[in-house]
Amino acid sequence: MISFSFLGIEKSYSDPSGKNLQVLGPVDLTVESGQFLCLLGPTGCGKTTLLRILSRLESADSGKISMGSGNLGYVFQQGALFPWMTVESNVMFPLKAKGVKSGLCRSRAGEMLRNVGLYEFRRSFPHELSGGMQQRTALARGLVTEPDILLLDEPFASLDTRTGIHLQEMLRKLCRSLSTTVVFVTHNIEEAVYLADRIAVMGHRPGRIVRDETLSLKWPRDRLSSDFTGVLLSFRQTFEELVDQ
Amino acid sequence: MDGRVPSERNTKAFWQKMKDLLPGLIIPVLILAAWSYYGNGSFLPSPSAVFNVLLHPAEDILSCGSLLWNIGVSLVRVLLGLFIAIVVGTPFGFMMGANNRFRKFTSVVTELARPLSPIALLPLSIIVFKDTSFTEVLGLNSLKYTRHILNELQIGMIFILAWGGVFPIILETMHGVRGVRKVYVEAARVLGASRTFIFRHVLLPASLPDVFTGYRMAVGRCWMVIIAAEMLPGTNSGIGYLLRYSYQLSRLDIMLACIFIIAVIGFVFSRGLEYAGDRWLLLRARER
Repeated sequence: MISFSFLGIEKSYSDPSGKNLQVLGPVDLTVESGQFLCLLGPTGCGKTTLLRILSRLESADSGKISMGSGNLGYVFQQGALFPWMTVESNVMFPLKAKGVKSGLCRSRAGEMLRNVGLYEFRRSFPHELSGGMQQRTALARGLVTEPDILLLDEPFASLDTRTGIHLQEMLRKLCRSLSTTVVFVTHNIEEAVYLADRIAVMGHRPGRIVRDETLSLKWPRDRLSSDFTGVLLSFRQTFEELVDQ
Repeated sequence: MDGRVPSERNTKAFWQKMKDLLPGLIIPVLILAAWSYYGNGSFLPSPSAVFNVLLHPAEDILSCGSLLWNIGVSLVRVLLGLFIAIVVGTPFGFMMGANNRFRKFTSVVTELARPLSPIALLPLSIIVFKDTSFTEVLGLNSLKYTRHILNELQIGMIFILAWGGVFPIILETMHGVRGVRKVYVEAARVLGASRTFIFRHVLLPASLPDVFTGYRMAVGRCWMVIIAAEMLPGTNSGIGYLLRYSYQLSRLDIMLACIFIIAVIGFVFSRGLEYAGDRWLLLRARER
């Protein structure tokens, strides 16, 4: 079953001098339900813009998006947690916004917080947590409505490697158990190869998909195995060619 | 945790606070000393004469009522004016911050009206409102010839107080709403929140610290305005009136006592609100 698809998506901005600057497109992409897709590409290639178009924060200039249901989860680069709310209230936010009753909100948020191991911290405020814990909260907030599609915009980029790896595993497990379709934006090749069922590499100016490949690596993935490093090296090569251009 | 009981810790914290205050008291004490030494025989009354006025706050002064009564009148006027400024200014500021069309529609008027000193409007407000007090507005004519606080609340005065307080509130609230980080609003939007939900649960709490700053500025302005307004013709009560009247009768001891009280109340207003703001809002609302 198809979760969503892009057909000929284009987007341009006008720069300060009034010149038209095409940042995206045309992009064609079809993603199956339950698939874990990594959008891999150098900084500034329009990955985030594509995500914002999918979540309707921005509109495309031309092209067509088709999507099953509109139930989305979104995890921002820096969490974007509401600093005036406790961890629990942050996680309850999307449920409340959808009009779920307060008692049910609390129990579902509690369950999700247990999944990410933060139940004991539910009454803390975001600034009292470490960076990794904040991103776990953001993850819980993104998943608490059990969305059909979860969008993540470089969620672990600001974390140290160990914490990042820990969160990658957590994310993978959670999304599997909820059979969520995931679009994960990153510029970290290893992260993409570790997490993804499928990797779409984006080139820049204008941003478009230059390589689209479903990975044949089995689970659990071992970062030190020769299969893994083989795939990693092949994507690194694509990446370096892109940057050299 | 240290092993001591809370009351012991509180006492210690109290003395620490006192210690922090001490350096700030040096200059006032020096001024007081110089005043009592050189003040004798000059135009100034002695400090003890001023303290004598302060020590008997409930006694009638110059047939204008007691010190406490006049302080009370000024405070009630300020609080009422401030209340109106808050009730009008807060929603207005929120609208200006959240709605571009409304801001464009109102910004010229606000920008023109804002720098206009409330005192400049006093003559106009006297013409418009005459000396109508709340007693007359509420139809309580039986109170008219008694000493009652409602007789002292002239509509014109409350109007200029509200005028003085409303603009800091409008502007700070507007800036607060406009300064809310875009990512919070976007996060709320992609998580499925409607416009009204975003307003209530994101824009409102995120801008509260600025709104509170607006209130704080408004209190300060209102307190300055009321003193000036009470010194102008058209009133016969309030601490500002007492200040001017005692000056006219050359009772400088009363005049200095009034100045002292005005300073202390202004200090308490700003410090108290700062404290309340810190306690309730600022810590939670700002990302650190």
